[in-house]
Amino acid sequence: MTAKQARNIAFSALVLIAAAIWIFPLYWALTTSLRSENRVVSEGAGVLMDELNVSAYIDVLSNSKLPMWYLNSVGTSLIITVIVLITGMMCAYALSQLRFPGRKALYLIVVGSFMVPVPALYVAQFVLMSDLGLINTWWGIILPQLIVPVVVIVYKQFFDAIPKEMREAVLLDGGGEFTLLFKLYLPLNWGITAALAIITFISAWNNFFWPFLVVTSESMMTIPVGITQVNDSFGVFYARMMALALLAAAPVIIGYLIFQKRVTEAVMISAGVKG
Amino acid sequence: MSDTGVQLKDVKKSFSVVDVIRGVDMEIKRGQFAVFVGPSGCGKSTLLRMIAGLEDTSAGKILIGDRDVTDVDPADRGVAMVFQSYALYPHLSVFENMAFSLRLAKRPKAEVKEKVHEAAQVLQLTEQLDKKPAQLSGGQRQRVAIGRAIVRAPEVFLFDEPLSNLDAELRVQMRLELARLHLKLGATMIYVTHDQVEAMTLADVIFVLQGGYVQQSGAPLDLYEDPSNRFVAGFIGSPSMNFFNATVVARADGRLTARLDGQPDQSFDIAMTTALEPGTPVTLGIRPEHLVVSEGEGMRVTVDVAEELGGVSYQHGTLEGGEAVIFQQIGARHGMHGTVQTILPQTDRIFVFSREGDRIR
Repeated sequence: MTAKQARNIAFSALVLIAAAIWIFPLYWALTTSLRSENRVVSEGAGVLMDELNVSAYIDVLSNSKLPMWYLNSVGTSLIITVIVLITGMMCAYALSQLRFPGRKALYLIVVGSFMVPVPALYVAQFVLMSDLGLINTWWGIILPQLIVPVVVIVYKQFFDAIPKEMREAVLLDGGGEFTLLFKLYLPLNWGITAALAIITFISAWNNFFWPFLVVTSESMMTIPVGITQVNDSFGVFYARMMALALLAAAPVIIGYLIFQKRVTEAVMISAGVKG
Repeated sequence: MSDTGVQLKDVKKSFSVVDVIRGVDMEIKRGQFAVFVGPSGCGKSTLLRMIAGLEDTSAGKILIGDRDVTDVDPADRGVAMVFQSYALYPHLSVFENMAFSLRLAKRPKAEVKEKVHEAAQVLQLTEQLDKKPAQLSGGQRQRVAIGRAIVRAPEVFLFDEPLSNLDAELRVQMRLELARLHLKLGATMIYVTHDQVEAMTLADVIFVLQGGYVQQSGAPLDLYEDPSNRFVAGFIGSPSMNFFNATVVARADGRLTARLDGQPDQSFDIAMTTALEPGTPVTLGIRPEHLVVSEGEGMRVTVDVAEELGGVSYQHGTLEGGEAVIFQQIGARHGMHGTVQTILPQTDRIFVFSREGDRIR
């Protein structure tokens, strides 16, 4: 064995160990969810997959409001994704292609809004949603999540890169700003649009704290908030909670497997922008 | 209907404090092939973009046909433009690229199809209609860009250095195709280039621009044979005209004698209408093709570089006074590199300019 082969094997082993460490909590959640609640409580959460008891799954599917939470999660995440993309794209188009007073200042504000930690706004947003009577509604969940500066910045960078002559060709062909945006700039950026849609959707789906604050009614909860409901006065039901967590993550995992390339691209792009 | 294709009346353009176009008047007749030519930064592309409506006009009027289009949107001016970079829509097929303007105008499907196929046939693009621009060669892409202009049936075609991105062979080919297309369509065309060979071969009328002004306009050979100033004389013709400083030493009836500065033995007898006083400093302009190698007396040139092009060669050298000079030789290899040659100008082809650059006839 040459030194290079030895190095490759050592490196592969290291990667395998890292992957095992990363996947272990997920595996542990799976084994826990497949045990009976009594066994989890009496023996503790076991590591070995020695039982295939699906009672926790049957229980959460039949006794919790999981279908409702799915609907809430899917509904709010989809609406957030669509509105964030449309408004972000239009804002980026204006900043990139239109010339108007205050354009640079506006862009600086968009970039500057990165500096504000979202949780710092929660109190003000909660008061606002309360004043608007939007507590325990989809719009209460949705509205504060519509401001995503990264979408504007990424779109602007891509719009800036489109040659000026193409814009001028459309103008000469009789197109206006809407034709330019929807027939040139957007189709030329389908890839980035897909990537931004995925990242926005996942982020809205996974958002726990804001929906947790704004929703108190069980029927309006999203899945991450719903998980907290799997307990009663006797304590937490670990197997059921893990089953629910896995069911909550399932759409994202399936989505990831289908759009793996795009998700990776999206993470790379947003990481690049966020530094 | 008047025979005016495009008319510019005292047109000016400033970018904040910089004046790019300083007052241009021109008239291009309907169906003419006009070429704007000039060095980089002369304002030729800006002028074309102003006609297209892509740049606002700071002052003056632009007329297309009889219509004042100075403040009209680009799409409503009746112009189509072919860009240097082609500016094809990469996500659309060739067909859709060409159909784009018709679709925006909501033309019936059958008409769109007919017009696109008609243009594709003229440009030999019928086989390529389903392809994306990325699958085409440079020449084909250029043809698609032209096709996109043709389907709009514009009053005026505008070309902004459309052949600059093509290789030399394809340029010549596309140049010929453009000339044929102009004959076929008979539309007014305005073409911007910095390549004076393109200008000379394509144009019915050339406008030579420099410093935001039209220096001279006219038929290509008129500009070559009768330039109105030193700039035009130097710009039109390849290689450029040679210029030598000289002083008038004598004048007779309709003629003058000018002596090259620093070379007392080199004086030329030139036919002139203007009576210049002896002692007047002038600049003599002589084209490389009007300098002939002489066996006897003449200007002695040390040839340092010889460009052999086959049927013709250009000999680059310096006169005894240090002035650079180029002269042309017809025929096969001359092997003049490194030699000293004696050359004489054809005195009836010498142009006389004032030191300020104005032509003196």
